[in-house]
Amino acid sequence: MTVRDPLTGLTGFTDIKTPLAEIEQPPFEIPRTVPKLRYFLQAALALEFLTIPPYLTAMYTIKPGANQEAWYALRAVVLEEMLHMTLVANMLNAVGGKPVVADPRFVTDYPAKLPYAKEQVPIALRGFGREAIRTGLWIERPEKMEDLPRTGKEPDPRGWTSIGQFYATIREGMRRLAEKQPDLFDGDLTRQVGPEDFYNSGGRAFPVTDLASALKAIELISEQGEGVPGSIYNPDERLFGQANELAHYFRFMEVHEERRYGPLDTPASGPTGPALPIDWTAAYRIDPQAKVADYPPDSEVRLAAEHFNQVYARLLWLLDRSFNGEPKQLQAAIPVMLELRDLAAQLYANPHPDPARAAKGVHASATFEITQAELLAAKKQLDTGAGATALLASLA
Amino acid sequence: MTTGVPLTAGPLANAALPDAPPPAPPATEIDRFVALSVALTGFDAFELQGTGMAGFYLKTVVEQVGRRPYDALRKAMEQVGFDPEKLQGDVDQDLARAVTHLWYLGVWPPLSAEVHAQLQRQVANDAFTAAPEAYVQGLVWRTFHGHPQGAKAPGFGTWAAPPPGEPELPRPGEPARHHDGTTGGTR
Amino acid sequence: MSPARDLDGHRYDVIVVGAGWAGSLVAKRLGSQGWRVLVLEAGTTTLDTWPGHLDAMNTFYSSLIKVPNAPYRANTAAPSPSVLDTVPHKGVHRYQSVGYLVQEGPLPYGTDYLRAGGGTGMHWLGLTPRMLPQDFKVRTEFGYGRDWPIGYDDLQHWYCEAEREIGVAGDAAEQTREIGLPFPEGYVFPMHEIPSSYVDRVMAEHLDGKTVVDPGTDEPVELRVVNTPHGRNSTPNQAYDGGRGFRPQDAVGLPNYGERCVGNASCTPICPVQAKYNPLKTQAQWSRKVTLIDRAVVSRVLVADNGRVTGVEYQAYDDPATPVATTRTVEADVVVVAAHAIESARLLLASELANSSDQVGRNLMDHPVMLAWGLMPHQVGPFRGPGSTSAFERFRMGESRKEHAPWRLVIANWGWTWAAGSPGSDVAEMLGIPETPFQQRKKALYGVPLRERLGDRIGRQIAFQFELEQDAQPGNRVTIDRRHRDALGNCRPILSYDLSDHVKKGMQAAMGVSHQIFDLLGAEERTAYQADAPSYFEYEGTGYAFNGAGHGCGTHVMGDDRRTSVVDQWQRSWDHANLYLVGCGSMPSIGTSNPSLTMSALALRSVERIHQDLTELHRPLVLRPAPAPEYAHPTEARP
Repeated sequence: MTVRDPLTGLTGFTDIKTPLAEIEQPPFEIPRTVPKLRYFLQAALALEFLTIPPYLTAMYTIKPGANQEAWYALRAVVLEEMLHMTLVANMLNAVGGKPVVADPRFVTDYPAKLPYAKEQVPIALRGFGREAIRTGLWIERPEKMEDLPRTGKEPDPRGWTSIGQFYATIREGMRRLAEKQPDLFDGDLTRQVGPEDFYNSGGRAFPVTDLASALKAIELISEQGEGVPGSIYNPDERLFGQANELAHYFRFMEVHEERRYGPLDTPASGPTGPALPIDWTAAYRIDPQAKVADYPPDSEVRLAAEHFNQVYARLLWLLDRSFNGEPKQLQAAIPVMLELRDLAAQLYANPHPDPARAAKGVHASATFEITQAELLAAKKQLDTGAGATALLASLA
Repeated sequence: MTTGVPLTAGPLANAALPDAPPPAPPATEIDRFVALSVALTGFDAFELQGTGMAGFYLKTVVEQVGRRPYDALRKAMEQVGFDPEKLQGDVDQDLARAVTHLWYLGVWPPLSAEVHAQLQRQVANDAFTAAPEAYVQGLVWRTFHGHPQGAKAPGFGTWAAPPPGEPELPRPGEPARHHDGTTGGTR
Repeated sequence: MSPARDLDGHRYDVIVVGAGWAGSLVAKRLGSQGWRVLVLEAGTTTLDTWPGHLDAMNTFYSSLIKVPNAPYRANTAAPSPSVLDTVPHKGVHRYQSVGYLVQEGPLPYGTDYLRAGGGTGMHWLGLTPRMLPQDFKVRTEFGYGRDWPIGYDDLQHWYCEAEREIGVAGDAAEQTREIGLPFPEGYVFPMHEIPSSYVDRVMAEHLDGKTVVDPGTDEPVELRVVNTPHGRNSTPNQAYDGGRGFRPQDAVGLPNYGERCVGNASCTPICPVQAKYNPLKTQAQWSRKVTLIDRAVVSRVLVADNGRVTGVEYQAYDDPATPVATTRTVEADVVVVAAHAIESARLLLASELANSSDQVGRNLMDHPVMLAWGLMPHQVGPFRGPGSTSAFERFRMGESRKEHAPWRLVIANWGWTWAAGSPGSDVAEMLGIPETPFQQRKKALYGVPLRERLGDRIGRQIAFQFELEQDAQPGNRVTIDRRHRDALGNCRPILSYDLSDHVKKGMQAAMGVSHQIFDLLGAEERTAYQADAPSYFEYEGTGYAFNGAGHGCGTHVMGDDRRTSVVDQWQRSWDHANLYLVGCGSMPSIGTSNPSLTMSALALRSVERIHQDLTELHRPLVLRPAPAPEYAHPTEARP
């Protein structure tokens, strides 16, 4: 399929021809019932989560020591996506929902379509390169860049064209429901993840206990990604008293254009500041549609890729538990993410086991595939308290 | 307030980067180097390739000792069936030590004075870290399930957890916790 | 051109000499009170940018021996000592100093410091134990060293303030329970404690509640593993500050990058994520009233006929690799020298100031560190987490201090890295590679046996650091001599350093305790002091060796008598009422606590006094009595 990037005018993503994995989606509209609101929040949780593996893939395929500015940009975005996911889970818990993470219906394979996206844009696990950055640009593109219907009106039933629009739809539903139901936010407070459990670059988690805190969460999520309306910056300075920081879209734009934003730049001006040299060749080339099944059974790469997915399944459970009454588990999730980092780096550094593909310079991949069997095995492992996880969750 | 340069200062930003990896030798040659290194290090090919250093190390070895002595070592290893214990001759033995040392620590070690002279090396017989990333990719840390000091950090609080195969222990001052049916502390 | 050349003749309210830890704190507080502060830094200030930080990381990765100064670039205009500078020697002494410090004493002073923005605080380990109340009166209570003119209670408030500035993680209740430290009612540290390591847990499992006998006193001492307070980001304690909680500080140089300690296990020499406090985090909070000028080596503090200092003379240079400079002067109402104990003393001696007591440069102290190491029968997971997370604290206190120096028995988390250069030394040993190319090579181990043997050996490594209190001795001193100069022509510090019998007896007792602990652990002790080690000495027939702790203290000690001390309790020179000497140099005794926290408390306490001095100086309508013909120190002038 061909997609035209509305901002850059570039076309891309033509290499992916397979159907995109997608979560089940009832029609797109302003949610008028609490179950519908919960469903949309669950879809938002899926959306936030689905963006993380592609960004991690871009980050970890950068060769060690190279493109450090791009590396740090991706890192900052990933951490903020984790914060978004946490805040969405807080919202879902606040309205009495039960966030679902460890479920293959929720964590789909890649290439995926983002929930309720209008366009069939493939979200794939691409190695660091212009296509990967363009995927990020597409995901994070600002509301104002598109000629969008005004909020408050019913959205296009075919889906959103910017994530901000998706959240605006949720926000509108939440507002209306809160007016009708004063007890909308009566979820169990112990399920909320707070700054004790999650703080890092790009803000801290905060509990969602009422409409005001929910609106603050939505504002933060939209603006960290797309920028404060009309600006290239995210709202951290206002919300957290932190330094002015570019929103995700503009971070990606800097990398894409190999140029920094200057102090007077706007979304329309594009980056006109100092050059930001990117070495697009200093990255491992990988197959954006790689699957474990591509690797010969019992090969070292196959075993490593399977192991990666098992650890990934463990991460899903830890997140699931973190958002379902055990916020302390989030502490145990971070080391698992760092373990995934090391396992993925080893895979990307290995040539593809198929000699023909290796000869073309293609490397092995972490595939981020999850099956019910893997989830069951990971759950069993966690339930027996094996490894460091139980201990880590008991800290602090 | 400070005289600091911004992050965008190109020359400084580039100065912070380690040397760009040199053009890699042909894949088959790297594969042969990896095969030899598997025998020397006890790490499998996936683990060695996983460091991303194989091509760079091969280049380093050839630069340090010359193509002919390296080829001789490789042939000698093939002749002894990849059993380094059976290597004969001071040169091959010392090169085997050096290659292994390089993989384990990212550091090229001094050769023995005699071997250094025998090879008529044009470089100083000094130890050096092959590249900043070479230190980070040292294998020695993996031998005890650790990570290089200053890199690949495993996350907050992980240092409280037992290394693989050891039992959970309570934090100091707390009673032993029951765990998995056994009391912490039994081995 | 360096901006340092541009200041000639300017005037400030305060000049701070040194952009290290103490100087950064003083500048922050005074700047926020509205005073115009100039901070002069002898070294460079590249570390407060992210590229500068990454450069330090790569320098660290590339260095063969990862000593505390390894990540930081050499500077010929403002040189720093290195712990590698003392080398074995066969001569009058067993050692020779080949670096910046000239050393002439019986034993080597094995501690370094860093002359660069952020100072030595860039490579501190990150431990913040408070001093014990009894540490402030060691002369009165135990008959050695020097007493302080103030006590723990005088510092209580300032300890709390310092813990806020640094962002201390710890368990205050445990500190009270196990060490007897008093805190304000209901006090908690800003952050929850850093988790104790698995090594600590193994120690506690084997040793908690057991007793060893102090061979110096024949008294039993109970062992208990106690978590150490850290200056490193942990989990914020929401009960802090009356329920207002605490906001941990981000890294410097990269917006919104900052996190909890992730266990890089390289606190010294560098924390990659800057979870560990460093003085640049304080500098990031400076108000616009504070001006930092780097590459400005203060060569003299200037004084007027009335005894008041008027400013400083400094050498401005451009290129750290090209030691050429132009000399400038700048004036201020108050001068704060905060340049590290040794450098501050050197500057005072070169300025011929503040020394009517003849104590400037004397009483140099460190914590001599005696290492002990061994192998546990099983894996303990070393080389993970901060360098140390716990210690045995009971050896720091009590009547045994009358017999021998006390010590803090620190549990090391990084195996034999300090004791024996692990894991590099283990690899070399198993490959049969000797220390020099001229020695015979041994048979190498290869393949899976090599991998397994290394894992087995390194994974079982444990080590202890006996960090002894060193008593103030006037003979341990910094002097200067015009024959020994650096590249800019400044006199280099000449050190004369030795250990008193009180310390040596402490080591003797510590060694006895060490043997008992290894026995209780069922561990194989591997401690061995080589007779050719630079710091090797024999005491009553037994050989010892020690390392420096990086805790240089005591060169401008405070006291309550101007005849026997350099500064008063406010760290103000007895001889010059507007000259403050701020830093570890003011400490008359150092107990067994890593000194940075106490130094911070003292610095913050001094700021209050400096602020008061400046306010009085700038108050326009106060009628003053005619000045006395000869200058008198303010505390003496007032009833």
